[in-house]
Amino acid sequence: MKLELGYIFIKDIQFSDVSKVENGTLYVNKEEVKALILEDQNFKKADVELAKPGESVRIMPVKDVIEPRVKVEGPGGIFPGMINKVETVGSGKTNVLKGAAVLTTGKIVGFQEGIIDMTGPGADYTPFSKLNNLVLVCEPIDSLKQHEHEKALRFAGYKVALYLGALAKNLTPDEVEVFETPTLVEGLKMYPGLPRVAYVFMLQSQGLLHDTYVYGVDAKQSLTTMIYPTEVMDGAIVSGNCVSACDKNTTYHHLNNPIIHDLFAEHGKTLNFVGVIITNENVYLADKERSSYWSAKLVEFLGVDGVIVSEEGFGNPDTDLIMNCKKIEAKGIKTVLVTDEYAGRDGTSQSLADADASANAVVSAGNANEVIELPPMEKLIGHVKVADVIAGGFDGSLHKDGSITAELQVITGATNEMGFNKLSAR
Amino acid sequence: MMKIVHYINQFFANVGGEEMAHIPAEVREGIVGPGLAFQQAFKDEAEIVATIVCGDSYFNENMDEAKKTIIEMVKKYNPDLFIAGPAFNAGRYGVACGTIAKAVKDELNIPVLTGMYVENPGADMFKNNIYIVSTKNSAAGMRDAVKKMAPLALKLGKGEKIGASSEEGYIPNGVRVNFYEKERGSKRAVKMLLAKLSGKEFQTEFPMPDFDRVTANPAVKDITKAKIALVTSGGIVPKGNPDHIESSSASKYGKYDIDGVTDLTEETYETAHGGYDPVYANQDPDRVLPVDIMREFEKEGKIGSLHRYFYTTVGNGTAVKSAKAFAEKYAKELKADGVDAVILTST
Amino acid sequence: MIITNNDWVFNKYKNSLNVVYIDGTFKDVLIAVRDKLHMGHELLTHPLGSSVKPSETPYKSIMITDNKNNINFNSIYMIENAIITYDKFNKDKLKFINEKIAEDLKLIDLTVLESALNI
Repeated sequence: MKLELGYIFIKDIQFSDVSKVENGTLYVNKEEVKALILEDQNFKKADVELAKPGESVRIMPVKDVIEPRVKVEGPGGIFPGMINKVETVGSGKTNVLKGAAVLTTGKIVGFQEGIIDMTGPGADYTPFSKLNNLVLVCEPIDSLKQHEHEKALRFAGYKVALYLGALAKNLTPDEVEVFETPTLVEGLKMYPGLPRVAYVFMLQSQGLLHDTYVYGVDAKQSLTTMIYPTEVMDGAIVSGNCVSACDKNTTYHHLNNPIIHDLFAEHGKTLNFVGVIITNENVYLADKERSSYWSAKLVEFLGVDGVIVSEEGFGNPDTDLIMNCKKIEAKGIKTVLVTDEYAGRDGTSQSLADADASANAVVSAGNANEVIELPPMEKLIGHVKVADVIAGGFDGSLHKDGSITAELQVITGATNEMGFNKLSAR
Repeated sequence: MMKIVHYINQFFANVGGEEMAHIPAEVREGIVGPGLAFQQAFKDEAEIVATIVCGDSYFNENMDEAKKTIIEMVKKYNPDLFIAGPAFNAGRYGVACGTIAKAVKDELNIPVLTGMYVENPGADMFKNNIYIVSTKNSAAGMRDAVKKMAPLALKLGKGEKIGASSEEGYIPNGVRVNFYEKERGSKRAVKMLLAKLSGKEFQTEFPMPDFDRVTANPAVKDITKAKIALVTSGGIVPKGNPDHIESSSASKYGKYDIDGVTDLTEETYETAHGGYDPVYANQDPDRVLPVDIMREFEKEGKIGSLHRYFYTTVGNGTAVKSAKAFAEKYAKELKADGVDAVILTST
Repeated sequence: MIITNNDWVFNKYKNSLNVVYIDGTFKDVLIAVRDKLHMGHELLTHPLGSSVKPSETPYKSIMITDNKNNINFNSIYMIENAIITYDKFNKDKLKFINEKIAEDLKLIDLTVLESALNI
């Protein structure tokens, strides 16, 4: 399967009468976006704001971050099974508004994680402070149940992302990157001397605000299976996971999966990137066992020499991570795990909730318990009322001057376990 | 200007080797030995105002006295920082450095720093109490050690924030500290996998907790009927060290027959161990490998019997890997020979 | 058997399943589960289900086997690790939970549990 990603670099975002992309600036018609959101009658009010790199802006609580993309050539549409039909994606050409993102915010449940600061120390911890963001602030109708609110918000985000993505359909990309995965048989012939590597991609799947969807199917209900790496680039996997901010994979992370990109970078040179296995992280123990046996079985069947395993979340996914590691290593296949740590505020606690001697190659995305000070920002986008009301409504406390003492956990994407960032710990 | 007091042993002070390890602590003004390399690295930012020289044997055998005396010596100079060593792989020097550095930190409340090889027993003992820079395993690594220790020392002296172990060069002390790598995690994962696949060395970023706990076996039911073996890392060997077991970083072990031997003497046995003063062990090797007592017990029926073979190696700076490998061999043979229990002696 | 301190879970399932209500904290639930595991029950769901941290929610529901058997060491290991993990989180934030937030947290706990019940 071969996909050409065409990047249109966005350096600025502004409101305008006509939505378009011109000279690297994304112009957005605010009213059209609002109308799009309000098509869903579950929302009584919608507002759209801009948040640009370097501005003294704090956005919270952030639910998802989505990158605008559009299918230019080839079968299917972005976010298959969600917004578009279920036809297989991942081939042909796709254009990307690189440097832009759609952010959804929403007080779906009581805990208010998910902060993005566009400047200051907090900005260093999240990749989203470097993007030109269109922030959706949507008010649900009263009495909307949490399930429905989450779903409505999720779809609002995808709809707006597709609306923006469509603006790039006929543009000539500034840069093109080509990704190609041969079939198993072709690959064997093309790269006989290279080590065979696969990516075992663990997806959060535990319930409300903890779900991931693959072509619209709840990962919770799915057996471990395989997917082409380029399908992920077209939005085959999307996030319904809002917890916790620092180590959940936003849809943006899924679209830009760094492990997939970095494996492709070496594909055909130092390794043969055979494919991607997706597996879940259910809370039911027998499911964990079943899924990890399945991962190990598929990995062995593919005849790979080594795998990278990434997890999503905290606590019980550590058990899935270790199960996958143990079972795969037991088959003589080497593993490298990517995870974050919860080593306590002083860094001395046991970082993972599970462990095994076979997990001898681990990449760490940092200690999420580290306490940081976020200075006050001039503008707050999202749910200001909540921020005002409770000191300590955040992890730590919101001080009178608007500054926040909190653990790294609250910052969206801070300790991403796909290895998106450079933060680590020793 | 930052004032520093430096602690070194008799060897690095050029007083002498093992034979001078008994000298008590003494203060010298200014720099002695490796202090010069440190001073050059510190330039104008710090000055080693005094050096305390102490024999490793003296320190280890008179710990309380030595600590008290040395702390008084350090106090007099009112330094901003205390540096000990580096001790590289010298076990007793490492323990001395760790002990005195911790004592100075606890009692005088000033920052301290030492350096040693990661396998030095002093490292495991003190890495969670004080910063220990990871050095090479011999004095040939002095330049490398000073290069890492000097900047960290200045930071500690100034009260600056100390970064992650891999950034600052200290032995991971169980406190996870966040820092920024040069490359993103996914790239590091790909590189790590390629290294692991090709059998090359790689460093995990998160070492799994140590699973090396050995659960104790249940107690011997009847010691008067038990066959007991003697095993030592104190280096007791037949006179002449026929198998040439090294005096440090041993790469081999010996298995010797003591059938009919009731007592180890100066004429028949000796110690090969280079990490302690051999005089007393050579005069009477039973002091390290108590064959004489075991024979007495055997005669008196206190134990069933003394196994005819003893296993010996030199524990001085011997790599954990090697020690494990030897022990695996002994264990197999001891079991096959019907041994019920083992007495392990070291130094 | 469900061990829980979440009254929503108790009320919803007390008539159809074996539900043991613990009038206490998250940790009390972990301890109660631990005690049962030492008596031979086995864990059916992971004690740290959901990414909502012990520092953010006071509610926890855990499913274990109704029947006892020989002690399952994996279960023991998991519950003990869960307790260690629980202890390392700072629980100050729990003081600030109002009724609306409590409802939301109970709902999350309920849905995560139900994701296992549907099996």
